[in-house]
Amino acid sequence: MTKDKQVKVALVSCGSEYAGVQGELEKVAASVNAKLIFPEIDIASLDTIGRDFGIEAASPDLRLMMARAQAVVEGLTDVDGVFITSCFRCAEAAIVRNEVRRYINKHSNVPVISYSFTERTTAATLMTRMEALTTIAKRKHLLAREHQTGLTAGIDSGSTTTKAVIMRDDKIIGQGWVPTIKVIDSATEAFNHALEEAGVKAEEIQAIGTTGYGRFLVGEHFKAQLIQEEITVNSKGAVYLANKQKGPATVIDIGGMDNKAISVQDGIPGMFTMGGICAGASGRFLDMTAKRLGVEITELGALAVKGMQEKVEMNSYCIVFGIQSLVNSLAKGSRPEDVAAAACHSVVEQIFEQQLQEVDVKEPLILVGGSSLIEGVPKALSDLLKINVLVPPNSHLIGAVGSALLASGFVED
Amino acid sequence: MSLNATGSELMDSEEDVITKIVVISSDSVLPIDAAMKVYQSETAITIKETCFGTMVTGPRNAVDRVVDELRAMDMNHVFVKERGFRPGDERRCRAVRGGGPRPGFHYLREEVQMLPMIGKALDAYDKHVPLAEIHRAKKIEVKKLKDIIESNI
Amino acid sequence: MAKVIIYPINSLILSDLVERFGHKPLAMMEKIKEKVNTVGVDSPPLNITAEEPKMGLKYAAVEVPAGVRGRMAIVGPMIDEAEAAVIVNEASMAFGCMGCARTNELTKYLIRKKEIPILEVEYPRSEEEGQEFVYKIAEFLKSLPPEDKV
Repeated sequence: MTKDKQVKVALVSCGSEYAGVQGELEKVAASVNAKLIFPEIDIASLDTIGRDFGIEAASPDLRLMMARAQAVVEGLTDVDGVFITSCFRCAEAAIVRNEVRRYINKHSNVPVISYSFTERTTAATLMTRMEALTTIAKRKHLLAREHQTGLTAGIDSGSTTTKAVIMRDDKIIGQGWVPTIKVIDSATEAFNHALEEAGVKAEEIQAIGTTGYGRFLVGEHFKAQLIQEEITVNSKGAVYLANKQKGPATVIDIGGMDNKAISVQDGIPGMFTMGGICAGASGRFLDMTAKRLGVEITELGALAVKGMQEKVEMNSYCIVFGIQSLVNSLAKGSRPEDVAAAACHSVVEQIFEQQLQEVDVKEPLILVGGSSLIEGVPKALSDLLKINVLVPPNSHLIGAVGSALLASGFVED
Repeated sequence: MSLNATGSELMDSEEDVITKIVVISSDSVLPIDAAMKVYQSETAITIKETCFGTMVTGPRNAVDRVVDELRAMDMNHVFVKERGFRPGDERRCRAVRGGGPRPGFHYLREEVQMLPMIGKALDAYDKHVPLAEIHRAKKIEVKKLKDIIESNI
Repeated sequence: MAKVIIYPINSLILSDLVERFGHKPLAMMEKIKEKVNTVGVDSPPLNITAEEPKMGLKYAAVEVPAGVRGRMAIVGPMIDEAEAAVIVNEASMAFGCMGCARTNELTKYLIRKKEIPILEVEYPRSEEEGQEFVYKIAEFLKSLPPEDKV
């Protein structure tokens, strides 16, 4: 990987020093070659910021957050990105955090991420987010790539499945899709499938890109030119596969373990959120539902499309209690179609309530990830948002395709 | 954590190093006078001038002695508090931590602006100046507001 | 000499007045000093780790944000230790240690709940009020027992 200049990230936070997570924030920043900056502010602005910004927050540190955001927007502090963070479960902070994020988004081009922490938040949790923020801030040339050229490979080492593709001049010529068991073994297997289908040898590959949870391990093993988190890769892959590289788009990726909602402009991710508190909103929940219904995961979607979610009572976000609700409904005589539909609805409802609130949804809405293949999911999302949901071809290979596309930037180098 | 928990003489003296911030809000004493005073009286002490006061760092007893002497220069117009971090501590120093000051700085600034008033009040207290009658406006009653509105329409 | 907890807990003026009138101020700065000088803990800048929000559970339930509990792990023991208190209401904007309104509410509540001598004064808005402010605090501090309790 090329050595980039250190990225300056403004820390606009409340409570982090007292919750025991400040050290973790500094650690994760350092690991992606970023430095946290505390924006200089015009001290006098603190007296009036509540009214100037508009929220007369009772907590002084929240006012400090507003003043720091203002300093970023007004260019008093020169930064490449902004990390907004406050305590999880603090209502006052949540209001300020959201409005500060919107404010920076609206009045500047600086990429922003927002996160609420608990004392259990670790550097590892924040890694993908911070890595994406620094990539957006500093590697715009990489993200500007619209065509895959040469012979490249992409490997997406996900929490549930590992995907690999071989691409040549904008075409997928080979693919592999296996469950993730051992990270490197599974990646090797998927990669070999893809090579075999493409009819090429590993030595012929000009550049490799890796993404997903296992990206570092796999990237090191295959000597990848590009090791990149999935926010950047997937948003790039989504607009590429959907052929929506210009203008705005919203990408929703329902993964095996967590979900991402990313707002994209000209192929470059802007605001994004990652969910990961409960697996009830992930592909894993759909997988368990399929098992309970005694159908293959590939059949769940078709079943759900025929059902009506309203007929099943489903009011839990937890994967365990959620499944229990479904089992109870079955015991009371619900039809499997309705249960399947309820499961799909539950997943998208959680995404709507927990993630889409922080991302401004702009059409086209592109749904990717393995769960997008379950027809009930895009249908439920479309019903809920009342907009058309686009599922591009090969949407399950999104990470692998995005990696192969971005890796081709290294072919010409 | 108890200061004497570790036992050894050396550890005790090391742990007992404190920093006090001395803010001079006086017409007769300048911060530079205070600094000279410190240099003359104690060798175990280091001082650092900041925009809002003088940081005095050293063994607790020495710091307390110096602080007493500084106070004595203009009793009611020299203010002191202890400080958690030593001056220039990398964890807090703005030169190292990337931009803006530590949060406590803003509050200190607010309080420093109040010191002339506090100083005057201490002088008045010493001289037993009787307290002035203070009128504190309360929110007016709704009925009264209604009357005002009606009489203005 | 009484141990007097001050509110705002990092106030220069209150800390100074308490000391000036012969008592020991219980203030945040000293606690922070203990924290930052704790050998073997490396969690900059304040050396507050994930352990503090857990210790804070003594003062606030688990659904209270981590930042509040982390602060309470430091402020709480000061309240436990206090023999008297001076509270300034409607103090001007305080940041950092005093930056969280919820922690501040809880701090004041726990102080008021203790059966110790407490003085509550309003933040002065004029020179006259400033004089009254100092007068009340001075008289209160003089009324506290001068010698150490046995």
